[in-house]
Amino acid sequence: MSADSRLRLLLALADDELVMGHRLSEWTGWVPYVEEDLAMSSIAQDEIGHARALYEIASQLDGRDIDALALGRPTQDYCHAVICERPNRDYAYTVARHYLYDTADAVRLEALSASTFKELAEVVRVLRTEERYHLEHARVWFRRLAAGPVEARQRFSDALADALPEAMAIFEPLPDEEALLADGALPRSGDAMLAAWLDVVGKDLEDAGLERVLEAGADAPVGEVLPTSSGASEMTEDAPRTLRVPGLERRDGRWVHAGRFSGDGGRRGRHSEDFLPLWEEMTALYRAHPGARW
Amino acid sequence: MVSEIETSVSEALARVKDPEIPVCTITDLGLVERVQISDEAVEVTLLPTFVGCPALEEIRVDAERAVREAAPGREVRVRFTFSPPWTTDRINEAGREALKTFGIAPPLLQIAVPCPICGSLDTTLDSSFGPTPCRSIRYCNACRNPFEGFKPKGEF
Repeated sequence: MSADSRLRLLLALADDELVMGHRLSEWTGWVPYVEEDLAMSSIAQDEIGHARALYEIASQLDGRDIDALALGRPTQDYCHAVICERPNRDYAYTVARHYLYDTADAVRLEALSASTFKELAEVVRVLRTEERYHLEHARVWFRRLAAGPVEARQRFSDALADALPEAMAIFEPLPDEEALLADGALPRSGDAMLAAWLDVVGKDLEDAGLERVLEAGADAPVGEVLPTSSGASEMTEDAPRTLRVPGLERRDGRWVHAGRFSGDGGRRGRHSEDFLPLWEEMTALYRAHPGARW
Repeated sequence: MVSEIETSVSEALARVKDPEIPVCTITDLGLVERVQISDEAVEVTLLPTFVGCPALEEIRVDAERAVREAAPGREVRVRFTFSPPWTTDRINEAGREALKTFGIAPPLLQIAVPCPICGSLDTTLDSSFGPTPCRSIRYCNACRNPFEGFKPKGEF
């Protein structure tokens, strides 16, 4: 097992948390009411703290200090998933991504708590005790926006449909996945974790009557399928469905992933046009004042 | 037998306050995991409360200064570790009482947390997220005061 593979695993996790935290921090001062402003800011602070804890382990393998790892790398050396760097857009998209990211992160952290990489497993145990609050927050908002009123439900389901394909690429295999699996540093493959995550998301979407975010031609307003008191809804008919999320197939009543990703490449340092402006802002102070301290 | 130096180091640590909750010491909060004393050095291992807490570095520096004064001539090193995970069960009775005097309800795994101001159980959770990573925002229906609660943390 090379230290390089472990370093890349750590950086993938740390970069996800750092970039996600940076995006969420952009809401500070702008959320429509103060409790949510505190929540977004607090989650952002947690995520950046989690990134720091992971960079600290990486620093022991790599030799660079944590600021150099977090802020001193060129854009193509960051290996977060592309979904993390996307702009916040509106609250619907922010919540959709928050829900998709944190449910994915929960699956990943559960797997990593059994890692043979001792320092990582120890940190992961601690992170899980904090991420539970993020997950709870995401689920509260999932239920709130999914329940309507109609505009909220419409915008939320559109945002989920936009975010979901790229969120799947959180589980894009790491370049060294085979070595990491053989070593036990990564106890479950990206494919296995993706399958477990799709079960969670699939059930939540079905419970909310929002499975249509996955379906081809699902452009009719969601307002028309709000649950009625009789329980009758055209959507409950078991007609054959064509799914519009690339790489997703429905087999035996489950959504399964069939090999292709949208917005992949993040794990190999390929990012979208949205990353450069984020990186410029995030690293501005570090680049302008090398070695600056608080 | 507890030596004189052990006593003075643990007394010094018991005087280090949490800068964001200055009524509580790091001993009350259960941050002190290990103290190793040799003829040349003192090594203190602390557990971080919340990983993203910005007060951690300040706590580390304060603890180092306090121990250095208590153990002159010895090399002093204070570091954080993640194992075992810190949980809110580690806060002792003195810490829980001190939290109340600061207007923060001690961590409890129940929906109705007693109001630290009037003691009523008729309270609600407004938001799991408050002014620091470790605090939530609550409201007392009886005395109509908003208050903060220490967030329960652990593997439950």
